Amino acid sequence: MIGTAIIERPVVLVVEDEPLLRLFATDMIEDAGFAVIDVGSASAAIAVLERRPDIRIVFTDIDMPGGIDGIKLAACVRDRWPPIKIIITSEKPWPTGVTLPTDAIFFSKPYRQDRVISTIQQMAA
Amino acid sequence: MADDKDARRAEALARLLVLDTPEEQAFDDIVFIASQTCDAPIALISLLDSDRQWFKARIGLDVSETPIHQSVCRLDIDDPGVLEVADLTADMRTNDNPLVTGDRAFRYYAGAPLTLRSGEIVGRLCVIDTEARPGGLSDTQKTLLNALARQASDHLELRRIARGSERLAELQTALVQIGESIRNSHDVQAMTRAASAIVGAVLQVSRAGFGSVDEDVRHIDVEPDWTAPGTASIAGRHRFEDYGAIRDHLVRGEPLVIENVLTDPRTIDNPGAMTAIGVHALVNMPVRQHGRTVAVLIVNAAARRIWQPEELTFLRSVADRLEAGVSRVRAEQQQEMLNGEIAHRLKNMLSMVQAIASQTLRDVPDRRPVESFEQRLMALSAAHDVLLQKSWTDADLRVVAEAVVEAVGFSDRVHMDGPEVALGSRAALSFSLVMHELMTNACKYGALCQTGGHVEVNWAVETTQAGDELVVRWRETGGPPVIAPSRRGFGSKLVRLGLAGTGGVDLRFEPDGLQADLRASVRQLAQT
Repeated sequence: MIGTAIIERPVVLVVEDEPLLRLFATDMIEDAGFAVIDVGSASAAIAVLERRPDIRIVFTDIDMPGGIDGIKLAACVRDRWPPIKIIITSEKPWPTGVTLPTDAIFFSKPYRQDRVISTIQQMAA
Repeated sequence: MADDKDARRAEALARLLVLDTPEEQAFDDIVFIASQTCDAPIALISLLDSDRQWFKARIGLDVSETPIHQSVCRLDIDDPGVLEVADLTADMRTNDNPLVTGDRAFRYYAGAPLTLRSGEIVGRLCVIDTEARPGGLSDTQKTLLNALARQASDHLELRRIARGSERLAELQTALVQIGESIRNSHDVQAMTRAASAIVGAVLQVSRAGFGSVDEDVRHIDVEPDWTAPGTASIAGRHRFEDYGAIRDHLVRGEPLVIENVLTDPRTIDNPGAMTAIGVHALVNMPVRQHGRTVAVLIVNAAARRIWQPEELTFLRSVADRLEAGVSRVRAEQQQEMLNGEIAHRLKNMLSMVQAIASQTLRDVPDRRPVESFEQRLMALSAAHDVLLQKSWTDADLRVVAEAVVEAVGFSDRVHMDGPEVALGSRAALSFSLVMHELMTNACKYGALCQTGGHVEVNWAVETTQAGDELVVRWRETGGPPVIAPSRRGFGSKLVRLGLAGTGGVDLRFEPDGLQADLRASVRQLAQT
């Protein structure tokens, strides 16, 4: 038998403008056995989503520069890529009067790593 | 000249607050005595308004008012003596008067002036006969008619004073109500709407509202206003210049008081702008801050109206109170926003600490201390969330405890009971850390590490010699047998810091489960 079995690790897109927090989230998710692509803005995230159909989960911050925040990004993902699951995080509470998109979960920062990871695992299952 | 005098007369009359009021015995008695004294079938107390004469009391006449041009009383009205016309059909001024030529057939007239203390003549007490009287009244009759007219004038003024103090009491009550509603409001719209509704009702106007004025006093942004049924709202932005020459007053900070937009020099050029929004009379009461007009209290009436001095004083007070209330709410909102911003930065900092710690401790083989660290950070963050909800002033003990329990888990096995207790920000933070250590300890070694175990958390305020003291009792049951730890770790040191970071902790390792009593003075706990 020639070749090795390629284990397809589910791909998570991490969107976070603060480099340290982006690194932290990337390590946390990779350590849990996922592949991670990380970007620093919502527009970069959309560019990645357009060429990478294998992304299963988007993990995004809310407050980001550049006009598109995490809430708008989540709405856009829900609209254009309905199968993708979404995790939204923020230092601020979830804004009142705004409904969370379907198949999306909100975590207040700082978040408990074990809870975020078990959510990602459920979403990927 | 005559117009001026007539206008002043109408104004003095309006201030008497007597027009269109019901009959009153005192005035009815006066006309009865006049009619008897002068042996005349008709006697009237006639008050001269700008476009009509209105009768406060009458005998022998079936109408309560007539157009002003049919009035005999108005002839020579500024002459202080008794006006007597022996034969109305023979006098050029009255021979074509419908009251003379028509069915009522007035023939003889005598009237004494109703003179106020200010000197203003507002009407006449008159007697009328349907037959001419060449001889006229006797001197005694004239003297009596004059005396009765003085009685009537005096009574008009006394009546006004009595009504005025009733009115003052009404306005005072309204002011108290407005003060209360301002104190209880925490948003600008609700506050101005509540105050406007009270103003509108007590003044019986068609519209009342409050608006803030821009820097150069050109525009006003009217908050949602109060309107009488059938009157449209004027909430929104308006330009003062569109409504006449009203801006200068407001720039100077003087109240703009208009009794009739059709005749007032400031609105006469284009009264349509006012009447289009249903305004015939108005008061704009400016509010000043640092020498500048910052807001205006608006009151509109759908008909012309003489504004009474006590009404203007009332509106001045309302405007000042509203401005103070609006400033307070804006400051509160700003503070809230600032607190939100601080909390957001603080939580961002906690996230960074978490990230740095996670990176720094990445290669530490024993993960337990790393996890403890992260969880303590979470407990602190949860306490910050609770404090933020109350604008960083105080937090309810139960809410803080619930936030910690929720962060750790097991909320179904932790039962809490106790009264509302406000914790200051320091106590909220240290209590959340203590609570977190007790929870994680119970999860690892205590009641929550095996099924069936649970925790009771009870608290009460107890009065001691040193003052009121909060006691929090932590009771674990149903866990594995308890052994006192051989050494004190950081977690145990945290717990021993107690409710306010100053101790007061009694830990007992009972065989049934851990028991902890935490005590601190209520005064200490309230510190922010």
